[in-house]
Amino acid sequence: MSQATNEPVKLVLYVAGETPKSLAAIRNLEKICSEHLAGKYKVEVVDLKKQPQLAREHGIVAIPTLVKELPVPIRKIIGDLSDTQKVLVHLSVEE
Amino acid sequence: MAVVSLASALTREELEARLYEAEETLRAIREGEIDAVVIKGGTTEQVFTLEGDGQSYRTFMEAMDIGAAAFDAEGQLLYANQALCTLLDRQADAFSGQALLGMLDAVNQTTFRRLLAQALKERQSDEIHVRVGDAERSFLLTGAPIDFGIVSGVAITFTDISAREQTAAARESERLARSILASANEAVIVCDRSGRVTHINAAAERICAEAPIGKPFEEAIELTFADASELMSGGDIVAMAAGGTPVQGLEAAVKTSAVDVTDVMISAAPLIVSGDRTQGCVVTLINLSQRKAAERRQALLMGELDHRVKNTLAMVLAISARTASHERTIEDFQKSFSGRIQALAATHTLLSNASWENLQIKDVLRVELAPYATPSSGRITMEGLDVSIDSKTAVSLGLVFHELTTNAVKYGALSTRSGRLSVRRMGLLSDGALQIEWEERDGPLVTPPTTSGFGQTLISRSLGSGPNGGTKLEYRPSGVVCQIVIPKYGHFVT
Repeated sequence: MSQATNEPVKLVLYVAGETPKSLAAIRNLEKICSEHLAGKYKVEVVDLKKQPQLAREHGIVAIPTLVKELPVPIRKIIGDLSDTQKVLVHLSVEE
Repeated sequence: MAVVSLASALTREELEARLYEAEETLRAIREGEIDAVVIKGGTTEQVFTLEGDGQSYRTFMEAMDIGAAAFDAEGQLLYANQALCTLLDRQADAFSGQALLGMLDAVNQTTFRRLLAQALKERQSDEIHVRVGDAERSFLLTGAPIDFGIVSGVAITFTDISAREQTAAARESERLARSILASANEAVIVCDRSGRVTHINAAAERICAEAPIGKPFEEAIELTFADASELMSGGDIVAMAAGGTPVQGLEAAVKTSAVDVTDVMISAAPLIVSGDRTQGCVVTLINLSQRKAAERRQALLMGELDHRVKNTLAMVLAISARTASHERTIEDFQKSFSGRIQALAATHTLLSNASWENLQIKDVLRVELAPYATPSSGRITMEGLDVSIDSKTAVSLGLVFHELTTNAVKYGALSTRSGRLSVRRMGLLSDGALQIEWEERDGPLVTPPTTSGFGQTLISRSLGSGPNGGTKLEYRPSGVVCQIVIPKYGHFVT
């Protein structure tokens, strides 16, 4: 799977309020984006505590979950994103 | 199951993706990477967190008055209560991630990280110092392990001990200031802005009125300024210094019960405790009494010396004129005049050796008789002449003894080997004057002179005449007898 050159990575992170793992996932994603995807990403954070119905769109079961919407195919990464290499593999941007 | 029923409708790739997702979800649950799940209940979704009683710790922390925060095992902030946000003057959302660490300097960061690491295992306390706004604040941190459902972390309370530390520092500073004040050699008095005494050291207590604390400065210590007694008071100096103008080195006389303090040098400086505003003033008083006493003594001695030199010159002129009128030849004049001047000089030497004080009658007599005979020769006897006399009397008595001695050497008892002389104290007269007697015996037969020379005049006039003093000269055939009366204030009974 290859990434189209100028197409930004569109990510949706599903969290549940401020649970420790939700906070850890936000922190880890910020770090990964700034270090590996500088300027080439768009992140939306969805708090399912406030809007649980939004879980339906991507069929979210476990929180936190990161969904790569673009470029296709859609990919889900479940967990607190503490394994940076694994995240990069799934986002197909590993260096 | 659902997966089997769906299988026919999905492509192989989609199925593989779904399987992977299911496996990943299980892995994440097993490894504790998730702490919430979405449950579908009918038409709506519900989110359940796996924090266990997690929510309750937030509720509990929020109810606390002291600052509190929760951190995960990596030291990331999970939650900070409102009290902590207020203490650190930050919005709750400004505390994400490691923002709290960012507020600390390197030393306090190290302390904080160490506390976080240790508190994962057991309860720990430490102090950190944080700059909040313009102020340096001190916090006592107490950390203890806490479990948030599936994860463990640390709960830390922040107790603001700035006020306590400031109070301790202020107390220490006050103690230091007091000991500096107490250790000062000079008298130090501290006044407030209204000029009332607030602090005083031991040296100042000696020269102040009783219980000076709380009194206005001019009541606490009575000062008079010799140069401007009408224009200035102690209160004016204190008011000037408390107003920001230092006053330096004014001399003043002080009225006090301490006998060794009569004059002081006063300086006053504004007391600035913090900022630019003066809180009062600090007055220092240096004891000048000994110096002033020495100055006064010096001035007195200068005046006395001036007076004596003038008197001596007048006396020399008089002796010269009177000697000239009684002597016939230049040689006679020279002999008499120089003899008299030498007698004057001898008495002066005695006086200056005795610092013009504490000279006794016998000393004056010895000096005049010295060229002719010594008291140990047996020809001369002295009795009761251990009497102190003042300098003026010493000079007069020196001249009288000189004339009597010269006369005795020329014509009287001291002109022959057999002649004797006795000088003795006869006693006090009713008015307190002291009478002594000069008596010559066993010398040549004496006949009264036909003319009265200056020597005779000098003898009869030197100590004045009348009831208060004077001399009476008798030319008895057996020898000259002279009664000498020294006025009461010219001698000091020993």
